[in-house]
Amino acid sequence: MRTEAIDPPGIIWQRVSPKYITVRLVQWAIANLAAVLILSLPLVLVLSGWWRWPPLWLAITVPAVTLVLALWRLALIPRQVRAIGYAERDDDLLIRGGIFFQRTMAVPYGRMQYVDIAVGPVERGLGLCTLKLHTASPGTNALIPGLPAAEGARLREQLAARGEARLAGL
Amino acid sequence: MTADVPEPGAPAVLPKTPDGEWLRVHPASPFVRGWLALAAIGFFFGRDIFERMLQGRPVFEEDFAGRAPWLVAAGGAVLLATVAGFVLEWYFTKYQVSGGYVRVNSGFLFRQQRQARLDRVQAIDIVQPLLARIFGLAELKFEVADAGESAVRLAFLRMDDARQLRADILARAAGVVLDPERPQEPAPEAPEHPVLSVPPSRLVGSLLLSEQSFFVVLGGVASVILSAVTENRGFYFYLIPAALGLAASYWGSFNKGYNFTAAISPDGIRLRYGLLDTQAQTLPPGRIQALRVSQPPLWRIFGWYRIQVNVAGYGALGSNGEVSSRTTLLPVGKLPDVMSMLSLVLPDPGTAEPGRIFAAGLNGLDSDGGFVTTPRRGRLLAPLGWRRNGFTATATALLIRSGRWWRQLVVVPHQRTQSLALHQGPLARRFGLADLVLHTTAGPVSPRLIQAGADEARALFDAQAARARLARKRQTTEHWLAQVVEPFQAAVPVVQDLQGTAPVAESTGTRAAPAVESVEPAPAAEASDTPPLTPQQEGPQRG
Repeated sequence: MRTEAIDPPGIIWQRVSPKYITVRLVQWAIANLAAVLILSLPLVLVLSGWWRWPPLWLAITVPAVTLVLALWRLALIPRQVRAIGYAERDDDLLIRGGIFFQRTMAVPYGRMQYVDIAVGPVERGLGLCTLKLHTASPGTNALIPGLPAAEGARLREQLAARGEARLAGL
Repeated sequence: MTADVPEPGAPAVLPKTPDGEWLRVHPASPFVRGWLALAAIGFFFGRDIFERMLQGRPVFEEDFAGRAPWLVAAGGAVLLATVAGFVLEWYFTKYQVSGGYVRVNSGFLFRQQRQARLDRVQAIDIVQPLLARIFGLAELKFEVADAGESAVRLAFLRMDDARQLRADILARAAGVVLDPERPQEPAPEAPEHPVLSVPPSRLVGSLLLSEQSFFVVLGGVASVILSAVTENRGFYFYLIPAALGLAASYWGSFNKGYNFTAAISPDGIRLRYGLLDTQAQTLPPGRIQALRVSQPPLWRIFGWYRIQVNVAGYGALGSNGEVSSRTTLLPVGKLPDVMSMLSLVLPDPGTAEPGRIFAAGLNGLDSDGGFVTTPRRGRLLAPLGWRRNGFTATATALLIRSGRWWRQLVVVPHQRTQSLALHQGPLARRFGLADLVLHTTAGPVSPRLIQAGADEARALFDAQAARARLARKRQTTEHWLAQVVEPFQAAVPVVQDLQGTAPVAESTGTRAAPAVESVEPAPAAEASDTPPLTPQQEGPQRG
């Protein structure tokens, strides 16, 4: 499948830290392995003869399909992380993400209400942080994950300064 | 100047000296607010007696005399505690309007002090529930951009006081400087000019032909067929609660939408509606973040439309029905009504021929009115809608239309765009299409341009970001009267062209809406240098 980007041309994207792949891998492991393990329970119970109902093929298929989907998602993670990008333009911050479902967002500095920096346990270990921008709209879901802590702090200060300079009302 | 000048010797609830004085709401309000509690107590004690009377038993049992003192004591205690609670709450609730803020202190165990900036006002509503209406009281709601509960709710004030307070707040928020020599003088209420009203017959018709009715008929037919096929009468019984619920819902819509009138004043758009509970909303200029004109399929017979808006203070749909009526700018109206409402919301349409472009947005197909639609290659994805899904931009707003049967036109002023995003899924990529989403504050309208050509969407993304940037630069102050008023002239032709009747603004000899949408850059510091509008000077403008 053609995966031509939908971004406006001629933008130099800042990429997030490759270490963010590790964070995504941990998240993936927690979510998907747990799902596969839980879905494998019937298989174990059927094999050991405790349960009669789910026929063997069903008990095998469900966790197998889940596992395949999980592995597919796993294979996509490095590409997804590489697809995340942001660019500081004169008047707005561009954020892009996604490969199959692409999204490019422009958040004007003057519209930012506040900026959050969140650090999870895994991110802290790797020295990363997640930056979140809030506007007056609940639809603005502007996240930049996997920023190195220093870059996150710099970006926050930069955004705050620019926001102040260009602050508009609602 | 209104006739609501407070008479001397009136109780302290009158906001006659707006600066500094702490005021309480009307003394009757604890009882009006607590009537439900009182009614519950009355019901609790009255039901037993009523049932006995119905059953023909003696009203009092034999040993009643022994228990009576206890009953009376318990009832009295509950009643007293309830009343005392409401009275205490009333006593400790005080409000003040001064120095650009409205402040409310409330609570006696847990004190709360709240202040809201007047120039951040997004809307002011005066609500009269039935009981309050009987007593001539009203509740005033002051909304700021919070999307949660109202910033300030004053329940209840006398109707005249509520209107006076509203005029006062709006005048201060607008940047009117009261005459310093006569600070006692209350702010004059801004004059208003009626724009349109919705006749009850049309309201009933619109309810009967609404989407809801369509599904009602569908459900009814399905039940009848099912019960005929299965020879099971049970289906009729399922219809009873459904019918009751529907009747309540229709009644709610009728009660809310009855006698809907819209008017324009320098302080913004005024909406009034309600049969038993009445409500008067004031939306100051430029507070509407996004607007949607929609037409369900059956409304096309009579050419009716509905307008809903996003206002930052009103919040999202869902939690209660109140929001849905508050975010309705026009429950049902014909094309001229829609056009005059649009001209109020968008005093400067930013185009030479607004009538043609907006009409194309409402009813047009293909490239009427300069709309850019889904390219032909996308017709497989939207076999019906591809000729209609489209956008066009005027100098002041972006118009997004969609829907062949459920027609929709979304209008977002460039000044109000928060952020925007391009979306593209794998299927859309296959057809070279993309969606553009504009983010606005919470509300019923979520602007999304669907299935535009990828190149057009990308170009629009850049162009829209640039237009929004320019519009933000032109926006200066929240004091709407301090802004330049000149471009309002552009609004008049809209009403003239489309209504064919007397133009709204000219017929009255005063100016209609102060145009917020296009003003010259004037830093806030300069706003204070402009000569203050004393009541005499503002006569031709506000009075």
